[in-house]
Amino acid sequence: MVKNITIFTTNTCAYCVMVKKYLSSKGFGYEEVNLDRNPERQQEAQTLSGVLTVPVTVVTKEDDSQEVIVGFNLGRLAPAVS
Amino acid sequence: MSIKKDHEVIIIGAGPTALTAAIYTTREDIETLLFERGAIGGLAAVTDHIDNYPGFADGVDGLVLSDQMRKQAERFGAVIELGEVTKIDAGKSSVKLETTSGDVTAKALLIATGSDYKKVGVPGEKEFFARGVHYCATCDGAFYRDKRLVVVGGGNSAVQEAVFLTRFATHIDLLVRGDHFRASDVLQEELKKHKDKITVHMNTTTDEIVGQDNKVVKVIGTDKLTGKKVDFPTDGVFVFVGLMPNTQFLKGSGIELDEIGFIKTDENLMTKLKGVFAAGDVRHGATMQIASATGEGATVALRIREYMEGHKVINE
Repeated sequence: MVKNITIFTTNTCAYCVMVKKYLSSKGFGYEEVNLDRNPERQQEAQTLSGVLTVPVTVVTKEDDSQEVIVGFNLGRLAPAVS
Repeated sequence: MSIKKDHEVIIIGAGPTALTAAIYTTREDIETLLFERGAIGGLAAVTDHIDNYPGFADGVDGLVLSDQMRKQAERFGAVIELGEVTKIDAGKSSVKLETTSGDVTAKALLIATGSDYKKVGVPGEKEFFARGVHYCATCDGAFYRDKRLVVVGGGNSAVQEAVFLTRFATHIDLLVRGDHFRASDVLQEELKKHKDKITVHMNTTTDEIVGQDNKVVKVIGTDKLTGKKVDFPTDGVFVFVGLMPNTQFLKGSGIELDEIGFIKTDENLMTKLKGVFAAGDVRHGATMQIASATGEGATVALRIREYMEGHKVINE
């Protein structure tokens, strides 16, 4: 079971829109961290993902385990929230 | 996850060609399902600003244009499934598709999967992918606030994205392999406005992307006029050296591709397979312009309608 979801995004990122759209279509809420508005959290996104890109989606499960998905990757995102 | 199995028209892709075709088919009451594995709007959606699409006197952001096209298609009943088609098999009266959302069939299929940015193909590019080497400025540019960048390419995308990246980077070296830009005159004029931040290096090849401690530190190029190696210290590299078609999933399908991988069609935009059409940036001969893509989307929708009428497959 999903406990919460955080998505790191930027203003101009089309793939971020897709992640948000997908999660909304499946009825999931999420916290969005916009790195254009919160550049101080950029390092956090980078540390979690290991890369310099967005979207970075962090799915936290009920047991507090986390899955980090880089990009709009349905192959990983769909099972992570199922 | 499963969806309705049998459809009248399936479109693979949801870029400008696909969305335009869907607007036309759905307005004709032809039930239409689109599959999109990436961004709705395709490369248009990841383009910062589009200045040459008619109807927008001041230009339009790629994301905004894409969203408007999506809404317009959905208003007429088009359904966009976020998933991927992995295999197609054209039969006598329908086309079967294997997808990540289950197996489906269509009476007619449109392949409008567009193109993606090509790799430059040098050492370091793969190793530092997304960790210093990027192909989407609107996605990844924000990670380079107050950093130095190298942009590779001399076409419209390279120039446009270099200009976009000036909002983050302190300095950009733009490496152009040829002796002139392929970018439009308008974009070249725009580039000149940013000469305080962008240094253009014509006749310069990109030979290697070099990293240290897991970070990109420089690009090594060659000045073709002198033959000398040149170092470009940088924190990241953005590559825009042309496009390659998204047709890998068609291998073994029987659809004829050209030597690069673009789909060959007849004058009706139909492929070698009956009932399977292709249009937009994925088609051999495409001009890679959004205006052309939407035009082809309209054309192919009309051809699909004619095909379906000819085969009496609408609302059977």
